[in-house]
Amino acid sequence: MNHSSNEKEPETIEPLRYLSKTEVATVETELLRDYRFGQQQLIEIWGHACAIAITKAFPLSSLSKKQPTLLVVCGPEQNGSIGLVCARHLRMFEYEPTIFYPKRSPQSLHQDFTVQCEKMDIPFLSYLPTEVQLLNDAYNLVIDAILGPETDLKEVKEPYAGMLVTLKQVKIPIVSVDVPSGWDVDEPAKDGINPEVLISLTAPKKCATGFSGKHFLAGRFLPYDIQKKYELNLPEFPGTECVIEL
Amino acid sequence: MLGVRALFGIGLLVTSRGGSVLTHTGACARVASNIYNKDLAHRQACTMANTIKYLGQEEAQHIDEELFNEYSFSVDQLMELAGLSCATAVSKGYPLQSLLKSPPRVLVICGPGNNGGDGLGYEPSVLYPKRPNKQLFQNLTTQCEKMDISFLTEMPEADVVDEVYNLVVDAIFGFSFKGAVREPFGDILSQLKKTTVPIASVDIPSGWDVEKGCPDGIQPDMLISLTAPKKAANHFKGRYHFLGGRFVPPALEKKYQLNLPQYPGTDCVYQLN
Repeated sequence: MNHSSNEKEPETIEPLRYLSKTEVATVETELLRDYRFGQQQLIEIWGHACAIAITKAFPLSSLSKKQPTLLVVCGPEQNGSIGLVCARHLRMFEYEPTIFYPKRSPQSLHQDFTVQCEKMDIPFLSYLPTEVQLLNDAYNLVIDAILGPETDLKEVKEPYAGMLVTLKQVKIPIVSVDVPSGWDVDEPAKDGINPEVLISLTAPKKCATGFSGKHFLAGRFLPYDIQKKYELNLPEFPGTECVIEL
Repeated sequence: MLGVRALFGIGLLVTSRGGSVLTHTGACARVASNIYNKDLAHRQACTMANTIKYLGQEEAQHIDEELFNEYSFSVDQLMELAGLSCATAVSKGYPLQSLLKSPPRVLVICGPGNNGGDGLGYEPSVLYPKRPNKQLFQNLTTQCEKMDISFLTEMPEADVVDEVYNLVVDAIFGFSFKGAVREPFGDILSQLKKTTVPIASVDIPSGWDVEKGCPDGIQPDMLISLTAPKKAANHFKGRYHFLGGRFVPPALEKKYQLNLPQYPGTDCVYQLN
């Protein structure tokens, strides 16, 4: 952030803005087109910030199982790729992630993320057991990186519908990346998955208003001009942190 | 009580190598526990018995190539992580409240190659005289410009640098530097030799031989080694030596016997001295 101290106005702090689906798309297009951020660059930033948020919500010492295992469930689009990057960084942070990535994106951009994880020796599940007890016993938590704001909910087919049914039944905490999978970006799903932790990327989405669990904002890279243009009123991140608890 | 081993046993878990499904219960369970336990034990042994490896120029180039070709990292990704490490190291060595001059101006000098890319990321002003034609660097430049980071048109004289900036980030030449220094970098380096504000060099103090150092070259106060330190770092006499670029896959680290230290928590830098 490069606004110097003499720019601070002595007025009340404006509330944080929660974005709609179209606003999310507009901001991202602007970042890519006008600000020349690369797609891989953004996904790396988001995945890294996500991993840091997870270490804050569930520090290694707080995990109850003998091994710091966690399951990262990745969907076919951008949200899934963010999950892959997140898994890789969690591995660097000494967690033991396992990935379930049933439908790999055909785009080479996203395929690279898969190779990076494989080369980090992160195991990939071949299918998600429907017996929920297996998941409860094997993992400390589940990271939901299945569907994101880019998803068209009407187009969601198998295996995702089935996976969401399974996830709704797990007893271990669920951490959702950006938007709880299955929720509409603009409003919470009444009978959707209920994550314990939500990690909003860049700015929170409308569906997160009134979210009752732990809510983090992750990703500290947004140019000040965009923040001002969309009146995001982002909070001040402490020190050099890229994550803040809302 | 079933655990991860059981998932392997039922043939559910697939190891990353080759992607083949393991079906033999005994082998699976052993492999499962080995994937993660082996790395941890190896790392512990390394930090106790061996010191961190200092790389030669060729080795550094090989590792770089492997990261891009075998491990499929993109330049974007690694540069972003490396830049983050540099910024973090600078903020640790020179915290905002410790700076003598206000506003907290920092001069970032970027060279032509990849090292230039890493330097882009306080109130920074950027000197980027020779911009490569590649899209990536043009994009990084645009990002900075759009963040209202001012770009200088020429290198200020040493006394101006001393008056205006709190420190200089030297991101001119990296580990692939060889041979003679071409203009305008010769002039830039001679100004840097005269400045009194601290210099933080990214990966290699610019102008130094990657392996032998340079007794009459710039003498930075901080060195931020990326991925692993290079042999030139043996000649570094400044106050702060940080290791950054926390993205080295365990298999690569083992292959080159880097003996990297354990970074604290989620930090992307490790202070070596």
